[in-house]
Amino acid sequence: MKWRKNMHKSDLSYQMERFGLIIVWLAFIALFGALRPDTFLTWSNFSTIFGSEAVLVIVTLGLMIPLTAGDFDLSIAQILTLVSMTVAILDARMDLPLALVLPIGLALGALIGLINGAITLYFRVHSLIVTLGVGTFLHGITLWIGNSQTISGVSPMLMEWVIIQRVFGVPIAFYYAIGLAVAIWYMLSYTAFGQQLLFTGRGREVGRLTGVAVDRVRLTAFVLSGMLGAFAGILYTGTTGSANPSSGTFLLLPAFAAAFLGSTCIRPGRFNPWGSVIAVYFLVTGINGLSILGFRTFVQDLFYGGALVLAVMISQLVSGRKDRGL
Amino acid sequence: MSQSGTPRLALRGLTKTFGGVRALDCADLTIAPGEVHGLLGTNGSGKSTLIKVLSGFHAPDAGTLEIDGRAVTLPMPLGRSEAHGLAFVHQNLGLLPEATVLENLIAGDHERLNPWWINWSKEAGRARRLFAEHHLALSPQHVVADLSPVQRAQLAIVRAADRVQEHRSHGVPGTLVLDEPTPFLPQEDVRELFALIRRLTARGVSIIFVSHDIDEVLEVTDRSTVLRDGKVIGTFETAATGRGDLVEAIVGRAVAADRRVSALTPAAPVAEVRGLTGAILKDVSLSVQPGEILGLTGLIGAGHDEVPMLIAGARPAVAGDLTLNGRTYDLGRMSPADSIAAGIALIPADRQTAGIAPELSLTENATLPQLRGSLALNHRRNRDITADLMARFRVKAASPDQPAAELSGGNQQKLVLGKWLQLDPRLVLLDEPTQGIDVGARQEIYDHLLALCAAGGAVICATSEFEQLEIIAHRVLVFDRGRIKAELKGAGVTKAAIAKACYEMAEEHA
Repeated sequence: MKWRKNMHKSDLSYQMERFGLIIVWLAFIALFGALRPDTFLTWSNFSTIFGSEAVLVIVTLGLMIPLTAGDFDLSIAQILTLVSMTVAILDARMDLPLALVLPIGLALGALIGLINGAITLYFRVHSLIVTLGVGTFLHGITLWIGNSQTISGVSPMLMEWVIIQRVFGVPIAFYYAIGLAVAIWYMLSYTAFGQQLLFTGRGREVGRLTGVAVDRVRLTAFVLSGMLGAFAGILYTGTTGSANPSSGTFLLLPAFAAAFLGSTCIRPGRFNPWGSVIAVYFLVTGINGLSILGFRTFVQDLFYGGALVLAVMISQLVSGRKDRGL
Repeated sequence: MSQSGTPRLALRGLTKTFGGVRALDCADLTIAPGEVHGLLGTNGSGKSTLIKVLSGFHAPDAGTLEIDGRAVTLPMPLGRSEAHGLAFVHQNLGLLPEATVLENLIAGDHERLNPWWINWSKEAGRARRLFAEHHLALSPQHVVADLSPVQRAQLAIVRAADRVQEHRSHGVPGTLVLDEPTPFLPQEDVRELFALIRRLTARGVSIIFVSHDIDEVLEVTDRSTVLRDGKVIGTFETAATGRGDLVEAIVGRAVAADRRVSALTPAAPVAEVRGLTGAILKDVSLSVQPGEILGLTGLIGAGHDEVPMLIAGARPAVAGDLTLNGRTYDLGRMSPADSIAAGIALIPADRQTAGIAPELSLTENATLPQLRGSLALNHRRNRDITADLMARFRVKAASPDQPAAELSGGNQQKLVLGKWLQLDPRLVLLDEPTQGIDVGARQEIYDHLLALCAAGGAVICATSEFEQLEIIAHRVLVFDRGRIKAELKGAGVTKAAIAKACYEMAEEHA
């Protein structure tokens, strides 16, 4: 009540809140651009950022769906790794056609999401614990099937359609991520399912008594995050031309940071795809700029960890410091 | 028990106002050392406000408290009551089921325990002695979840007694406040509890026994005080008082409320419930005809509030079925979606978690039931529907985009009512529909329910507010321990008659 009386679209402070992250992002670009105009402020630097971080965008989008329904999917990064490894093995080692390998990859992601959801819902265990365990288990499988090694020799066709093809100089993977963001934005804002996700997360009992099949909604959210994790895994293999057993491990925290940071802008107080996309590129721009300035790898951890904590602090301020079951 | 000498506890001139309503009006209460003192009154009589002043939860507008002749400053800081020899056992007992008896016994006993090291074997020995002293068959190592309900109540009472006996600075026994400790206990278990109460008073402990059950009050108390509309009606020597006098004092000669419904011409029922059994309800059958408002009421633990939840499929019934518009549904397998499809609407009591999603907007809250099956939401249309609904149900808000949390309780409830009534339900189920709602909104909610009935809808309303039933119910069913014990119709539906039916029925199983 004290924070904002109502959400009139003209309210200046509300608009500042919505676009604050974009303004800070632009300020970062201006700062790094002024300091290193010839390396940072080049189209090739930006197009690389846009293309290579598409994987992170998709993981973040995937994470956002169960988060909206009030669940955590900590296994999504390991789904990425396992699918990436599976695709590389089926394609490079077993020479199966991509037309077969890619659907197998996506189905694998969906199956793991189904398992996450089934355990969480049937045994009524918190999804945080279930997906933490499942994720670690998947990592074990990845190391086992890949013999703890990087698998290379993936068919150039996959790379062609992920990183080599460019539109306006930006790798095509970026457009996949944007396309998914559009689809998820549409799903969350214009479909009954989106509203059901929202009520499942924010008013589960209200939703249930209004006829929303909350268990089915939660299960679907896990399946979707599993499939998005799998899709990110396919793109990862396509981006590097290989599968590396530790690839996903470093993506989980940035994805969480971006999802929560994204929920402080565009549609403050809600996990939203455009906020997530902006948050990913904001974080990556910061790290890219700082490393161009000569800071070493530790800035990644400082930046991602700091952003996650800062984001949840801001979102609590926005919602007026209510007790929220995060 | 002695009437002379310094009282254990004396409250004088206690007054507390909530938004213009006097919850307590110059109330006095005197408790003698070693007595069991009953505290009686209907909902809203002020007994829970009085207890909450004693526990430090409410600050009174006026009034003094003396304990053993010493003045105690009010409001008492929360958590300081034990130091004054006051301990509370509430209906929910305050036990952690998954912990052991011993862990529960010493939980929060900061004054006695060494914060750096708990000597478990010493504590277990102490607990065994304590239980032996009170003739209780409790073992310190048992898990509370495995105890019977009466054992849990015993544990909670002994824990409270232990706190006020051990830590009194001036060496006098303390006072226990037992706030409705019995409604879910079978008769023989209540006896066991009373034996414990008597052993405690034999040691000089005073007990304030808050209950709605007149038989229990007659059996266990030495004196009792009756509150009505915030005033003390009188303090009675229980042994010299008949049940009729107590009922009279509790119910009073209430001023008739404005009854807003007239007699209905009998018609075939629109809905019939048969053999409904739930957690409390046992084989209950009832029916409601078109245009009728059927009120369900009872005291704590009567089970009347279970009926709306079970009919709407919010919780599965153990047994029972419902015939609505000629179709029969198994209430053991009914889901909320099934009940909505059947034309049933449920307005739940717990508004904040089951009625609205507070963080979401009015539009989102109001249009949720209409969304099923739609692929492309039309936000402008939903907003218009909501704006229209806000106008029809007089929901005062800045815009349909405002979060529901920012509305007052009355406006939130009107929104919930609008959300459901827009679906044109055949049967509307309400559970405490006017809890925490101002007088104006209350009248508006009555208007909508009456209009719905005039259009041929049927309403079942579970409530513990007797006056509300006098105003809007055509017929009232009074529940006791899971069964219907009385039916009041037409001109017989008065606040006083309902209260009488509620309090007097305990006679039957005395």
